[in-house]
Amino acid sequence: MLVGLLFAGDATIEVVKKADSLPSLAVEDASISYDDTFKLRFFKSLVADLNVISLFNVDRHHRLVNYDNANVLVENKDMNYVLRYKMFEDDNRALNIEMKLFNTNEEVFSKRYRVNKKNIYMFISHAMAYDINEFMGEPSVAWMKRKVIFARIVAPKKSEIIIADYTLSYQHVIIKGGLDIFPKWANKAQNAFYYTSLDPLKPTLKYVDIKKAKVKNIISSDGMMVCSDVSEDGKKLLLTMARDGQPDIYLYNTMTKKYKRITTYSGIDVNGQFMGDNKIIFISSRLGYPNVFSKRLDTGVVEQMVYYGKSNSSCSAQGHYIVYEARESSNAFSANTFNLHLISTKTDFIRRLTATGINEFPRFSKDGDAIVFIKNYKSQSAIGIIRLMHNKNYLFPLKSGKIQSMDW
Amino acid sequence: MKSIVLSSVVTALLVFSGCSTKEPAVDNKTEQVASPVAQEVEAVTTETVASENSTISSSTDELSMNAIESKLPTIYFDFDKYNIKPEMQEKIDAAAELGKTKAKSFSIKLEGNCDEWGSDEYNFALGLKRANAVKKALVTDGIDASRISMVSYGESNPVCTEHTKECWAKNRRVNFKLLP
Repeated sequence: MLVGLLFAGDATIEVVKKADSLPSLAVEDASISYDDTFKLRFFKSLVADLNVISLFNVDRHHRLVNYDNANVLVENKDMNYVLRYKMFEDDNRALNIEMKLFNTNEEVFSKRYRVNKKNIYMFISHAMAYDINEFMGEPSVAWMKRKVIFARIVAPKKSEIIIADYTLSYQHVIIKGGLDIFPKWANKAQNAFYYTSLDPLKPTLKYVDIKKAKVKNIISSDGMMVCSDVSEDGKKLLLTMARDGQPDIYLYNTMTKKYKRITTYSGIDVNGQFMGDNKIIFISSRLGYPNVFSKRLDTGVVEQMVYYGKSNSSCSAQGHYIVYEARESSNAFSANTFNLHLISTKTDFIRRLTATGINEFPRFSKDGDAIVFIKNYKSQSAIGIIRLMHNKNYLFPLKSGKIQSMDW
Repeated sequence: MKSIVLSSVVTALLVFSGCSTKEPAVDNKTEQVASPVAQEVEAVTTETVASENSTISSSTDELSMNAIESKLPTIYFDFDKYNIKPEMQEKIDAAAELGKTKAKSFSIKLEGNCDEWGSDEYNFALGLKRANAVKKALVTDGIDASRISMVSYGESNPVCTEHTKECWAKNRRVNFKLLP
């Protein structure tokens, strides 16, 4: 189609891949260690990850096989691909996985993995799906291997900060006991993070070095203190501070420890996000309702980015794309009211990304392939993932508590 | 074939180990345990704090602070707004009156809150603007600005969690707290 060719690669145009045109893939379990419960748990995790990479029609039958069988199982003889893996525990009690991928009965790819503790098995499953995606020559899904950090409200004025995998199968509570919120990864390696502590005296931004298990205070502010974004090189932060009760965006240099005020509007300016070297996008109520604006850091020129929606209260940027949270109807209390939208600074299109519930706090993955967001629907809080080029959304619910904010 | 070692996700994870693998020896003798002799320990040194040096309110003061705090109003706001509604103004006037009389020896902390709609960073700012609006109104009514501090809890301090209009309206509020 001519239209398809003209706009190929522009994520604001909806891309719909029909499910039945995808090649089929079956998974064969050749594990020789661990009980049936664990084997099934791993199988489910792998099948879920293979579904998320959206390259195959994944068969859900859990079939057992010998790893060294020359042929695939007779039940799988018509499958385009078969993924066979073997889990085994070595003498150090580490979890080992060997896998091989068959394409019509011919072995085309293989790899081995090892983790010291079997309770982090899901990270192997994510790595396997990532590697198969790479082997198939598709755009990177590196975000699948990354950790998510989020704050969960467990009671009024009480929260926990948790590090998890993208499906929330693995969760580790790293901060608890107070009201600690707005966690933000400090670097690409994800071995440090910032968060806001609402300690009794003043909201304070803290920095945690995970490896050394050390916490240090960065900066405090009366009223409000949030780290909204970290620059690519990790050296600059966009903060929202509120001296004298006036919330504004500040640029903070982690090397010089100096900050510079970026916005001066007397209403609300929050949620600054770096967009390239010299520009930020942010949320401001300067038109009487929250909306998305950009500001050049060199010239100071402010531009309205979104001309649609009545309350656009959160945003994230990647390349020339902006995703934002929008309230569409004038009735603030109908269902289906807060949805995520995607715009490009290069086209006039708006693409709506979600359909139901309260969808908020969108964040692009570093590679721009996916957006993670918080979804609250009928008393359940979940992390949502949107694969932009595949027009598919996935939800991973939290068993208890409410997700307040997150980063990945 | 490549071998990849994925190290533990969070090295701060503590591993508790410690089961002894030795079989416990069974001792058939019964040991007589003498009852311990009670030892008298040294008296604890105490320091008497003179009442004029005391910075903590006496219990009667605290009780009255709580009693006065319970008389202070809650100020409610419309969706996405931080302006003081006309019907809320008289509540603020009444609070200012208390602040100048019965509560005149206390500081006032204003806590701003929001309903669950919208992202929490925006809601933290909105809660703070609500607290600031109440502060400005109190100052206009004659309360010294230096007596007033503000904090926002965004969505994280709800008084109710039902997904109803009534509950959302109850959460869009500023609470008064007194500090000694």
